[in-house]
Amino acid sequence: MKKPKHKLCEESYFNSFYLKHIQAVSNFAFYKCGNNAASLDLVQDAFAKIWENCAKIDFEKAKTYLFTTVNNLFLNTIRHQKVVMSYAKESPYIDKTNLNPEYIMEEEEFKQKLLTTIADLSEEQREVFLLNRIEGKKYREIAELLGISQKTVEKRMSLALKFLRNKIDKVNI
Amino acid sequence: MNKENDILKWFEGEISTEKMEQKYPDEDFSTLKKAGFYAKQIETPKIDAEKALEQFKTRSFHKKETKVVSLNTQLFLKIAAILVLIFGVSYFFFFSNTEVYRTEIAQTETLFLPDNSEVVLNAQSKLNYNKKEWQNNRTLKLNGEAFFKVTKGNKFTVLTNSGSIQVLGTQFNVKERERYFEVQCYEGSVSVTYQQNKTILLPGKSFRVLNGKVVSAKDFNNENPSWLAQETTFENVPLWQVINELEIQYNIKIEAKTVDVTKMFTGSFTHTNQNIALQSVTIPLKLSYKIQGDKVEFYDYETK
Repeated sequence: MKKPKHKLCEESYFNSFYLKHIQAVSNFAFYKCGNNAASLDLVQDAFAKIWENCAKIDFEKAKTYLFTTVNNLFLNTIRHQKVVMSYAKESPYIDKTNLNPEYIMEEEEFKQKLLTTIADLSEEQREVFLLNRIEGKKYREIAELLGISQKTVEKRMSLALKFLRNKIDKVNI
Repeated sequence: MNKENDILKWFEGEISTEKMEQKYPDEDFSTLKKAGFYAKQIETPKIDAEKALEQFKTRSFHKKETKVVSLNTQLFLKIAAILVLIFGVSYFFFFSNTEVYRTEIAQTETLFLPDNSEVVLNAQSKLNYNKKEWQNNRTLKLNGEAFFKVTKGNKFTVLTNSGSIQVLGTQFNVKERERYFEVQCYEGSVSVTYQQNKTILLPGKSFRVLNGKVVSAKDFNNENPSWLAQETTFENVPLWQVINELEIQYNIKIEAKTVDVTKMFTGSFTHTNQNIALQSVTIPLKLSYKIQGDKVEFYDYETK
C-alpha cells in the first residue's frame, strides 16, 4: 500500500486523519498533563503543526509524528501544570457484592490516595502506566507510539508500580 | 528480578491475578491489584471530534508555502543567463592560458618562460604568450622593449607591431617603440622579418627602423644591452627617440618645441639620476633644460 506523499495536504484526508486520532491523542496528552483544557489545547497545537508542515510529513508516519509533537509541545509549555484527574461516575468497586459502608469508605479513601499518587508520578511514568491501564495497551504498542524501546517502557512501568506501591502502603500505615 | 517481570506481565494481562497469588503466596498484591483496578476507572475527557475539528479550522495557520511555489521560468532563465555569463567571463579571465606581463614607467621585470628562456622587460612594455601552446609553438607578442636569452630548441618567434623576429637559441634585444623598431643580436643569429624582407643578424649587428625606414646602425660590442645596467645607450638616434626613452624611464613630460628633435644623438643616460641623465642628453647637443614639476623643457641656450 503505497500512498503518495502529500495526501495530508488535501483537506479531506487531513480531516479524516484528525477525526481518527483526536480522541487517542487527547487521551495521551491528558495522561501527560492531567489537565482537561490544557490537553485539548496541546492537541490542537500539534494538529496545527502537522497541517502547516503537511508537505514534509510522510502520511505513514503522521501518527507517530502527532504523538511526538504532543510530547515536545508538552515539554516546551505546560510541564508545570497541576495534575487534576477524577474517576468516571458510577464506577464499580473491586468487590461488587460488598455494600458494607465501611468497605465503601475504605475504597473511596484508597481511590483518592491513588489519584494523588498518580499525580505525583513523573510524566513519563504516568503516561506509560495510564496507557497500559486505561487504554489496555501492551508495552510493545506503547513503545511504538512513543518511539522508544519496549525495554524503556517496561522500566518506566516497573518504576511507576514500585512508586505507587510504596507510597500507598506508607500512607496506609 | 523475576518477580518484577511477573508483575509487569500481570499488568499486561499475561498472567492472571490468581496465578500471581499462587506463585508468591507470601506477597501482598492487594495494593497493586486495587491500584490497577481503580486506575482503569479514571475518566478521560471525551472529545467531540467533529466539534474539535470545527474549532480547529477557525485557527489561523502559518503555512509554509514551500510546496506551492512554482518555478518562475522567466526569472530562472534570467538567473541562468547571468550565471552562464559570469562563468563564461570568469573562464576567460581566470582560466585563459594567455600569460600577460606588463611593466609601467621606470620599471623593469625579469621573467622566465616555460622553457626556461629568460626575458627582461624594460619600462612600459607588455608581453604575452599562450602557456598551453608553448611546448609546440614558442611564439610571443611584445609591445615595447625586451631582452631575450632564448634556450636552444624549436623556432622562437617574437611578434611586434613593426616586424617579427625568429631565432633558435640566442640572446637578443627587441625595442619596439613609437616610430622606432630595433633588434640587436648579442649571441647566435637572429632572423628579422620586416615588411616581408628577411634579414639575418649576427652578434654585434643591429637592425633598425626609423619612421618606417630601415636605417643602418653601427656595430656594437657590449655583451648585454646597456639598459640592463640601468643605462640607455644610443648610437646615432634622433633626439625625439631619446626624449621618448627619457619620458619612459623617468615618468616626466619633455617639451622641446624650440629644439630640432631630428638632431642625431650618440651617448647614453642613466636610469638612476634624473639630473645627470638630462645633462648627459642635453649638454652634448648644446641644449639646456628647465624642470617644472614633472614637466621638463628643453631649449637652445645659444638662441636665448
